[in-house]
Amino acid sequence: MSDHAQHLQQLAAQQWLIPFFPLVAAAIQSLLPRSARRLSATLTILAMGMSCLLAARAFWATLPVGEQHDEVARAFFNFTWFRFGTTALEFGFILDPLTAGMALMVAFVGFWIFVNATGYMAEDENFTRFFCFLSLFAASMLGLVVANNLLLLFMCWELVGLCSYLLIGFWYFKPSAAAAMKKAFITTRVGDIGFFIGILMLYQHTGTLTLYNAEGTGALQQAGSLGQLAGWWGLSLAGTIALMLFIGAMGKSAQFPLHVWLPDAMEGPTPVSALIHAATMVAAGVFMVGRMFALFTANAGDWVMDFVMWIGCITALFSATIAVAQFDIKRVLAYSTCSQLGFMMMALGAGGLVAGQFHLLTHAFFKALLFLGSGCVIIGTHHEQDMRRMGGLRKYMPITFWCYLVGMLALAGVPPFAGFFSKDEILVATYHHNKLAWVLATAAAFLTAFYMTRQMFMVFGGTWRGGQHDAHGNETTGHDEHHGHAHHEPHEVSWNMWLPLVVLSVFAVFMGWLGTPWLAGNLFHHYLAPEMPAPEHANIVVVLSVVVGAAGILLGWLIYGRRPMQHAAEPDPLAGTLGGLFTVLNRKWYVDELYEATIVRATQALGTLFRAVDKLVVDGILHAIAWIWWGVSQLFRWIGDELIINGGFDAGCESVRGGGRLLARLQNGRVQTYLRVMALGAVVLVAIYFFR
Amino acid sequence: MTTAFWIITIVTLLGALLAVTLRNLVHCVLSLILFFLGIAGHYFLLRADFFGTVQILIYIGAVAVLILFAIMLTRNVTGEEGPREILGMKWWSGAVIAALVAGVLLHAVRRDATAAVASSAPKPLSVADLGRALVGDWVVPFEGMAVLLTAALIGAVVIALEEVQRRR
Amino acid sequence: MTLTLGHYLGMSAILFAIGLAGALTRRNAINVLMSIEIMFNAGILNLIAAWHFRYFESLTPQLFAVFAVTIAAAESALGLALVIAVYRHYRSVNVEEMTALRG
Repeated sequence: MSDHAQHLQQLAAQQWLIPFFPLVAAAIQSLLPRSARRLSATLTILAMGMSCLLAARAFWATLPVGEQHDEVARAFFNFTWFRFGTTALEFGFILDPLTAGMALMVAFVGFWIFVNATGYMAEDENFTRFFCFLSLFAASMLGLVVANNLLLLFMCWELVGLCSYLLIGFWYFKPSAAAAMKKAFITTRVGDIGFFIGILMLYQHTGTLTLYNAEGTGALQQAGSLGQLAGWWGLSLAGTIALMLFIGAMGKSAQFPLHVWLPDAMEGPTPVSALIHAATMVAAGVFMVGRMFALFTANAGDWVMDFVMWIGCITALFSATIAVAQFDIKRVLAYSTCSQLGFMMMALGAGGLVAGQFHLLTHAFFKALLFLGSGCVIIGTHHEQDMRRMGGLRKYMPITFWCYLVGMLALAGVPPFAGFFSKDEILVATYHHNKLAWVLATAAAFLTAFYMTRQMFMVFGGTWRGGQHDAHGNETTGHDEHHGHAHHEPHEVSWNMWLPLVVLSVFAVFMGWLGTPWLAGNLFHHYLAPEMPAPEHANIVVVLSVVVGAAGILLGWLIYGRRPMQHAAEPDPLAGTLGGLFTVLNRKWYVDELYEATIVRATQALGTLFRAVDKLVVDGILHAIAWIWWGVSQLFRWIGDELIINGGFDAGCESVRGGGRLLARLQNGRVQTYLRVMALGAVVLVAIYFFR
Repeated sequence: MTTAFWIITIVTLLGALLAVTLRNLVHCVLSLILFFLGIAGHYFLLRADFFGTVQILIYIGAVAVLILFAIMLTRNVTGEEGPREILGMKWWSGAVIAALVAGVLLHAVRRDATAAVASSAPKPLSVADLGRALVGDWVVPFEGMAVLLTAALIGAVVIALEEVQRRR
Repeated sequence: MTLTLGHYLGMSAILFAIGLAGALTRRNAINVLMSIEIMFNAGILNLIAAWHFRYFESLTPQLFAVFAVTIAAAESALGLALVIAVYRHYRSVNVEEMTALRG
């Protein structure tokens, strides 16, 4: 073993330290009193800084040294967590480029989000609780990233879900926040069922949940042989498991049918949105698909990769269209996150592991930047979120404006910025794989440039429209009425809020150059997956993506920039052109209403049906028993014992009278009735087992 | 051994039957203690002396006393009010369901070939071995149990105390 | 007639059924809890009987019995605490009156 490999091995054994510090910080903060605000924030940020340094050290070690360009630097450290009888449960940590890059991004972006949060939450009385949750959130995400065991990954995955639940509903006294937290939790749980089935199948067929181990019997190391076995629905076994895992990722990363929770997650404080949308929650799904990529590609004949690509493609285009017609500053960004996640999934599905993960990293930087920027705007305008009541902020908030501009250009894919290179790589990967998906993705890229331009002009262009009276004559006091200064002019935010923006914008500008095909080959590709051939470059893709980006911005300027909105009540210029379609987009294609009309209704109908079955069948059984014993008691009456006569008579009356009542009594909330039905069910099951 | 088995079995069954049929709650608990004693006797007969002792200590010493306390705290010594429900609809259906469960269980026991095994443990259960296993291979479940017991203890205190705090 | 595992299993099946009958028919919550204790004990007896007749080389049946006893103890403590809390709330321990979950 070379020195380098030994060094990696040592570092892998210390990977647990990365999530450890935020976890300890969260534990300490859970015990702190409410007044310990400064201590709480310091602890969180220090712990995250430590994680960041450790992640940077690990990242440095995985960088290719010398001529080792053809092999992934991968080290892992497994240990037995506990033995239960004769079964041992193994846990482990991994250090490879995928983990190292991701961990560094999460820790770094998270660190700056935390700094920003000290400003955003400065007026909140539950400051310590907020930072406690934030620390736990970061710890679970980092744990997910360094896990070398699917069970550990799943535990962290659920912890991430729990933290997002807690943070989305941080202002739980708002009914909308309480609804949003439940929605996020339940929607992702739908996907988690698939994930869990996938885990169970993987364990059943490989006997381990450790991803890599030294003996080569780890779950991922067996992916090739799993690819040879037949699974369900015409997939190989590896493909079936991959499909199940992907369903989990769809919930977590807000892919098309399960995307509904993400926009509602806006109800949380803005730093939470930044964390969810950039570094943690939604990144988990994409990361997990990247981590389990060997299963997805185990059998080349499987349709699971196409499935991933098309889901991603649909999500990318679908969400981009919705983002065009939103007025809430954070909602536009939320749908753009959905759309960008779709891009990442599409890249993964097209076989572009590197492209997908690279976009995940760059996107994290500029989306965190945009969200924090929107947080600054919201604070600067005294809790205003409606873009129609903003405008002209360029004059009032210059630092925020310039940083936001960088983020917007990066997201729109304008050449020197980060988003251009990563998005371009995705488009190249898709271009080589499927032309139709590429065309749709290019259309989504066009819409991205357009709606971001629209947002820029509505928020920062024109003149300040806040404080005006809207069409109904109500004062536009903004989101939180308790701020008495709603009519004041917007102001620039404090340094601890804009400093993260500046730092992140530097990365949003330069980070993409790591993945550019023009400088000494694609550096990021060599780093992440040296064994894969780099996709061939296609000039048409690059040219077209620049053209549609420019066209989107131009169109945005034509519609929103040339003649800025004068008044908050003015209709959107697009609404006139698109007519009814605009309303459809504004109502998000009515997906929520569709779910309400179908799934929720169907569940209710099913509930009613089951209740009817309960009444007819189960009650019938009870009823039959009653009648049998009534007959027996009649018999006793003829025998002539005084006591039993009376008892039997009572029973007879009781069962006749009870018969009618029984129908109404079944759902009676009495524990003994339920126990009875349970025991009968058990008897029936055992009887079926023995006598079938 | 066979004679001892039948005597203890009769005691145990009698204890259980009385515990679920008597009307006075305190009498029920006394029958329950009889039942627990019978089970302890079975343990001794099965050469699991440790469990026999544990049975007496935990069930008779702790659980039965706890139940007595609960009876006194709820001031409900006389048990069920109102006319006795023997032969009532509820009584009969419960008895039938229990009989059905007993039927399928006994049927399962009869069909199971291992039920005919007559060999027996050559030596009594070694408490030292048990202790070593508990702090060896089984230490994590053991600690888990400790946590569970603590949680149950705290939970029980919290549940029982809630009302008092609210009144203050 | 020699004793077999079947004797113990059969006896504990009958004990279990007695306990179940009690749990299904008694009105007083404390009676129900006592019946549940009977069912628990019947189950644990099975483990020890299985150890005695079949698995006497192994410690696993006893260890399971230890854990089962522990859980039963936790359950009875919590159950009785709940009974007391319910009594405070309803002024009654009649399980037929606890119908807050009625559908």
